[in-house]
Amino acid sequence: MTQKLLEIKELYAGVADGGKEIVKGLNLTINAGEIHAIMGPNGAGKSTLSYVLTGKSDYAVTSGEMQFCGQDLNALKPEERAALGLFLSMQAPVEIPGVSTQAFLKYAVNAVRKYNHLPELDAAEFLKLLRGKAKEFEVSADMLKREINVGFSGGEKKRLEILQLSLLQPKLAILDEADSGLDIDALKIVSQGVNQWHNADNGLLIITHHLDLLKQIKPDFVHIYADGRIITTGDMTLAEELEKNGYKNYVEMSK
Amino acid sequence: MSLLKQNITLFGENIPWLDGLREKARAVFEKNGLPNKKTEAWKYSFFKEDALGLPLVDDTPHECDGHCHESENLPFESLPIKYCNGRLTHIAHDLPRGVMIIPLFEAIENGEIKPYLNKSFALEDFPFAALNTALLDEGAFVVITKEFAAEKPIYLHYHQHDGMNRLCNIRNIIVVEKGARATMIEHFDGEADAQYFDNIVNEIYVGTDGALTHYKRMNEAGRAHHIALNSVQVKAGGNYTSFVVHGECALARTESLVRLLQQGAAAEVNGVYRLAQNGVSDITTNIRHLAPHTNSNQLVKGVLDGAAKGVFQGQIHIAPDAQQTTGHQLHRALVLSDEAEVDCKPELEIFADDVKCSHGASSGDLDVEQLFYLQSRGIPLEEAQKILIEAYLNEVFAKIEDETVAAWIKSNIFLS
Repeated sequence: MTQKLLEIKELYAGVADGGKEIVKGLNLTINAGEIHAIMGPNGAGKSTLSYVLTGKSDYAVTSGEMQFCGQDLNALKPEERAALGLFLSMQAPVEIPGVSTQAFLKYAVNAVRKYNHLPELDAAEFLKLLRGKAKEFEVSADMLKREINVGFSGGEKKRLEILQLSLLQPKLAILDEADSGLDIDALKIVSQGVNQWHNADNGLLIITHHLDLLKQIKPDFVHIYADGRIITTGDMTLAEELEKNGYKNYVEMSK
Repeated sequence: MSLLKQNITLFGENIPWLDGLREKARAVFEKNGLPNKKTEAWKYSFFKEDALGLPLVDDTPHECDGHCHESENLPFESLPIKYCNGRLTHIAHDLPRGVMIIPLFEAIENGEIKPYLNKSFALEDFPFAALNTALLDEGAFVVITKEFAAEKPIYLHYHQHDGMNRLCNIRNIIVVEKGARATMIEHFDGEADAQYFDNIVNEIYVGTDGALTHYKRMNEAGRAHHIALNSVQVKAGGNYTSFVVHGECALARTESLVRLLQQGAAAEVNGVYRLAQNGVSDITTNIRHLAPHTNSNQLVKGVLDGAAKGVFQGQIHIAPDAQQTTGHQLHRALVLSDEAEVDCKPELEIFADDVKCSHGASSGDLDVEQLFYLQSRGIPLEEAQKILIEAYLNEVFAKIEDETVAAWIKSNIFLS
């Protein structure tokens, strides 16, 4: 029997404290081993969906259900969702001056291990793990010493996100515009990293505008997302058709 | 003025000049009284005398069996000067050549102190320094002889314990002669439930091309009051660098009056405060550029939570002929609760026209985007807050050159 990772039923959500509704009746199930892509026009609320799932306090669920590995996501804090294995690679990773990237990665790895009742890694163990992975994603020792994302190029930021994916080994990863600002080489590193991590036990939700990333990470399902819900679902051919004809027809359908 | 009503015998009451000085100070303190809300320099941190709970000067010799300092485990070597319950109990033996440390009373007796005692500030301007002078009795006299460098820091430890509510007036005079260099580290601590009033005056004289680095780590007892004046004079090419860390206590005020007397004199006054209960931290500076080509820099950052209050008053004064001078000042605070309060008062008095001066102030909360980023990686909210607070203050701690000292000072407010 396939394991359900994420199950969203008739989800409505919006800006916290009674603000604008942005997710309007979303249904989506992601099983272990599956790769889903969400495509949609600008302003459709795709990034908002990623924040609702990961628990950013700016947004609130008004009705509906979202289950992650059998637990009600809405009852969990962002850090609990992360520790259970939900990962979000942000479109614009946040810069944090004053905190070294390496120290942050150790905090994160050990926080997740602690939550899952695993012994925390000591400095030497962590360094060994980090060095191997950093080499894979071409994250230099210098980058690790620098403050989190401060002065990083677009490509460096995305490589750091994928390094985190690889270190934290989540059950479900949401990649929000993981391809934005990447040149061909960086795109290759990112997609190779994702493909290497992906296996029959975990799942992936890719939010993107472009075919480039989807050609590298082949989705099993492609959803067209407009006006806060999925309008239609297909496979890679749907994405290819979109590239030719645009979203126009689908946006009409959503009205 | 009940603070002056102390039934005690002070050292050297038969020395006329000393007696005269005390009398004068007593008269000033009696006339002006404690500062109140109308006293401009104290409007954010004045308090009523009742708050002190009638502290008494303890003139009995302190019988220190050493237990007060047992817990001490410094990560660096030092030349210690130790005060216990306000009494000088220990001065380093085997002082290196070029370093002299003697008790204040000895320096008064032999008259060596005369050119320095109460020569760097006006009694009328500093009510608590007037009180300190009126009851002058305890302290140390430190001289770094010209062209000598004291390699180990001079470590002044002020420890408080037991149930008596004491008024402790301590006067240290530090003279760094021409071309000499030294580091002094002040460390204040008190046992958790002790109540007392530390009233400290340091008069610091940095000679031509001399340099003094002055660190202060303040973690007095929660009910303690702490008021300190660092009155500093710097001669040509001399350098005074200070770093103040205020932790939790009822009220702590560190006031730095720095006079840059001659060309090329420079000062840096940095500070950090972190309070989460209902105490007050006041860092007040007055940097006086009195000659051309003098430079000063100030960076003070604070983190407030609970019902705590943070005060920063920063004055930069540039005299008419102090051309080609720079004076910069920045104060920033994180205010983490609705009850916490920050008051900031920058004052620039510029009478010269060829100068570079700046000041800035800001206060705000932790960045929610940064918090969410850390949480989204599994780091619990409380830990994420700690990480960001430490990162915020690290900008100031990074100014401490000696990493061992930096780590030791930091541990004052990052008890994780």
